[in-house]
Amino acid sequence: MRDILRSPTGIAGTVLLLIVFGAALFGPWIAPYDPQAFHATARLQGPSWRYLAGTDQYGRDLLSRLLNGAPATVLFGLGATVLGVGAGAIIGVSAGVAGGRTDTIVMRILDGILAMPELLFTLLIVTFLGGGLGQALLAVAVTFMPGMARIARSAVLSVRTREYVLAAQARGESRLWIVGREVLPNVLGPIIVEATIRVSFAIMIGATLGFLGLGAQPPSTEWGLMVAEARQYMFRNPWCVIGPGVAVAMTAMGFNLFGDALRDAFDPRRKR
Amino acid sequence: MSPLATGSAAKPRRVLDIADYSLSYDTAEGPIEALKSISLTIHAGETHGLVGESGSGKSTLAWSIMRYLAPNAIETSGTILVLGEHMTGMRKADVERMRGSRIAMVFQDPSSALNPAMRLGDQLVEVLIRHRGMGRAMAWKEGEAALARTGIAKPAELMRRYPNEASGGEKQRVVIATAFACNPELIIFDEPTTALDILTAKQILELFVALREETGVAALYISHDLGLTARIADKVSVIHRGAIVESGPVTEVFQRPREPYTRQLMAAVPRPQHRIAVPEPSVSEPLLAMQNLTVRYGKPGWLTRLLDPSARAHNGAEDVSLSIRPGELLGIVGESGSGKSTLAKAATGLNAFEGRVVYGGRSFGSRRDYDKAYRREIQIVFQHPDASLNPRMTIGGILARPLRLYRVVPRSGVERRVGELLDMVLLPRDFASRYPHQLSGGEKQRVAIARAFAAEPKLVICDEITAALDVSVQAAVARLLVDLQRRSGAACLFITHDLNLIRQLAHRVAVMQRGRLVDLFAVDDADSPDRHPYTRALLDAVPVPAEPAESLL
Repeated sequence: MRDILRSPTGIAGTVLLLIVFGAALFGPWIAPYDPQAFHATARLQGPSWRYLAGTDQYGRDLLSRLLNGAPATVLFGLGATVLGVGAGAIIGVSAGVAGGRTDTIVMRILDGILAMPELLFTLLIVTFLGGGLGQALLAVAVTFMPGMARIARSAVLSVRTREYVLAAQARGESRLWIVGREVLPNVLGPIIVEATIRVSFAIMIGATLGFLGLGAQPPSTEWGLMVAEARQYMFRNPWCVIGPGVAVAMTAMGFNLFGDALRDAFDPRRKR
Repeated sequence: MSPLATGSAAKPRRVLDIADYSLSYDTAEGPIEALKSISLTIHAGETHGLVGESGSGKSTLAWSIMRYLAPNAIETSGTILVLGEHMTGMRKADVERMRGSRIAMVFQDPSSALNPAMRLGDQLVEVLIRHRGMGRAMAWKEGEAALARTGIAKPAELMRRYPNEASGGEKQRVVIATAFACNPELIIFDEPTTALDILTAKQILELFVALREETGVAALYISHDLGLTARIADKVSVIHRGAIVESGPVTEVFQRPREPYTRQLMAAVPRPQHRIAVPEPSVSEPLLAMQNLTVRYGKPGWLTRLLDPSARAHNGAEDVSLSIRPGELLGIVGESGSGKSTLAKAATGLNAFEGRVVYGGRSFGSRRDYDKAYRREIQIVFQHPDASLNPRMTIGGILARPLRLYRVVPRSGVERRVGELLDMVLLPRDFASRYPHQLSGGEKQRVAIARAFAAEPKLVICDEITAALDVSVQAAVARLLVDLQRRSGAACLFITHDLNLIRQLAHRVAVMQRGRLVDLFAVDDADSPDRHPYTRALLDAVPVPAEPAESLL
């Protein structure tokens, strides 16, 4: 952690993440208004002392809506990543350890899936499963799986031929011990780092799905959906697009910068 | 004496003059002094050896002369003069003019010193075009001539090849030809033979001597190998922890070393006449016997065979029969790729093999037949101490593993036994709670040896265990191994490419060449005339180091 805070990237990422997590944890309680309350007299207003981030087309307070949307958005990113990375890592590690024909078959299938653009693939799954936040989460997780499996597998392959693994094999250790104690602890680093960076992608894809109307449904306060709903009023009050847009960007950037710093901290060669 | 060294008649012209030069690296833990007040002078036509162990700063000094400084390097004092020109504080354009035309450098590993995407000829010609202003056609001709001088039989053909199509020796010849191409006045050699096989290294060394005679170039020859330095250098400086501890004519420094550090280095050089082996075992019944062992790599699949009928497996070891007696130390020597490690891996079940392994009255026809009892009694120690210990486990955990796995001691006694094991390899007991990265290379190798002996084996296979270590550490590890062998009575299969070391340790020596066992002899018969020509060549390539005038041991 000290190494992370030593780089400017790490500090920026940590600060952004603290703000985002603060909003996600306490947002619904510190929001000044009910996110669904209409203020008919104050529609599409810019920021003012009464409405700090302005109001949308129904006169709902944007700041309150943003704060209320934070838990859903962050949870979506984390949930999708944990699911996708978890499943991907299990597949990748098993393929890497098994080697031989199993490895070849699994990896060729994943290559096939990887060949499809990420967003297109997500859309395909959502179309199958139907709209909604849960379905979108699942879709993003499935999309992440092959990439993650590749990373986990290559990490396993680089560790598998190390001499301490050979030593364990020569000792006659069980396969379970070799995977659990010799291989896994040494591949966790790259997997965690990749996962952190992926959270930002998940949030962005989630927002995109929301924007396309395939993720969260109105009157949810999910940030992507907020942008979609406000789109036609963009020229009368740009603030209703800027607010959630900036929020998505901040969260994504926070995870991204933090992930970068984490990777540098894990890599002894990058240390000065 | 140094028979290959040039006449040491002092010439007045100073090619390299380093005075009171210090350099430190700015790191997160504060500045680290890499070079401390270095002073060194090389006159025209002189070869100056710079010997030291890894981390002593010898390569840092070479890079400072060539002006390849790391971004966090800070030069704290002193000057470097090459041919009277100040290198410190020189403008970038002038440095580039100096490099290649006045000073050249030959690196350790020719495979990483050459650009894999360029033809060898293009890389050689580039220097001629840039520094001697030649036209392309003329430069190409000159390049061929330069290559021919390095003893390449068909230079025109080699020029058209890419680095991956040339052998290590050929590549190093190209690097040397490039360095000599512009008739520089100073060439820095940074361990030019370390990455090469013994026989190739010998040829490269002879080439260096011949080219030096021809051109009269001055050289700074960096090496960790004292015997080699003694043969080719006129003067030598011994560098230790960034400071030059002793400097002078080769014969003087190596025959009558004054500083304790130099004496320690000299004492650590393996000399066959100083035997440190355990007494020869009297039993003639073999402990383990390999019978007609063959190991094949890369057996092609059915689809590959269908598409390319010429696809064949590559034989790592072919029809090797070898046996080792209880308590014996059997050495296996050979160049890299000769199949030494392949045998070790087959015996420990890391490679599939054909043929039989007979141990303790039982005969194994496949590695799947090895059971826990066999695996316990045959242990292996690997070459790289950095890679053979799991970085996420403590030393205590690593040593406890074989104790628990083979139930060597009852569960309650594991901790005490780990302490005893650490004592046994002369490491402090509190190392048990440390992690591998907190230990030095020699200490890690001791832990790896302790792990092998923890299983109370009958045979320990040592796969180049000293190759990655410095000479003084190497001597200590070799002594430790012999000491453990004496105490436990275990036999040892010692794989190495260091012939002088193996003649110190082994009772018998097996010689491998291209996967085949070509010679097997008792160590006293090493100089006998009926040795295989290949054994002869290997022995001749590494002369026995001369004894210092006074006894150091």
